[in-house]
Amino acid sequence: MPELPELNPIVHGKLRLALLSLLATVEEAEFTWLREKTGSTDGNLGAQLLKLEEAGYIAVEKKFVQRKPQSLYRMTEAGRAALTKYVQALKTLLGGAIEG
Amino acid sequence: MNEQISNQELNERLTLIESMMQEGRRTTGRYAWSFVLWGVAYEVAIIGATWLHLVYAWPVTMVLALVATIAGFSTHKTKSHESTAGRAIGSMWTALGASLFLVLFAYGFSGRMHETQIFVAIATAHLGLVNGASGMLLRWRAQFACAIVWWLSSAAACFITAEQSNYLLMADVFLCQILFGIYAMVLEQKRLNKVNCHA
Repeated sequence: MPELPELNPIVHGKLRLALLSLLATVEEAEFTWLREKTGSTDGNLGAQLLKLEEAGYIAVEKKFVQRKPQSLYRMTEAGRAALTKYVQALKTLLGGAIEG
Repeated sequence: MNEQISNQELNERLTLIESMMQEGRRTTGRYAWSFVLWGVAYEVAIIGATWLHLVYAWPVTMVLALVATIAGFSTHKTKSHESTAGRAIGSMWTALGASLFLVLFAYGFSGRMHETQIFVAIATAHLGLVNGASGMLLRWRAQFACAIVWWLSSAAACFITAEQSNYLLMADVFLCQILFGIYAMVLEQKRLNKVNCHA
């Protein structure tokens, strides 16, 4: 029997997974857009983004636009690879469940 | 950690990925209002120029529509995220606007605009091109169907009378700008209602 793949715990977190999925489709995104799409609070979103950044899955660029701070997030190659691997693992696990 | 995860949870994760990716890819839906705006502007211009014989009906309505579009886009914070597809589609519509403005304004002021059919053929071919490209890029059948309508009208305009071409353009604008725009706005609203806290 083939060994079942492990799910990456950093990617598996619901909000972190939502963030990676969103960032996979765009070149870059503002903090406010991510907050609007995920419906999360500033504090929780900031904490989860920091975890993803520490894991090397996303990169952040902070700048000032019209004297207001703006944080732009983009997915790194490592993040894209981690998400792809996670999706493959999910499908394998679900496939295994269907096959019984 | 896998032992503690149920199949339901795994399926939820897949659904979450799918829905978030759809959110990120949303492009045309956000700009549906501009389809309606331009549709109404075209209809007003056609009526003004053809039946009310207002010389400046086209330039005035087009400039007003352009100003309203710029104002609308500046209030919709479109820079909050950027996708490659979104930028491609935005670029196509900007190029269409520049192309139509340049060619049709020059044509209108040249004093050679004796055949309305040529005007209609140029405008509908341009609109077919951009709607077709956008429909293919987004894999959106409704928009591609609109492109087919524009293309067929462009070809038909070469064979019909000036009066018929005016009616044809009005019908196309109503169907492919106003109705399509309203349809896209309804879809957008439904999507917004559906998107709640997935995370």
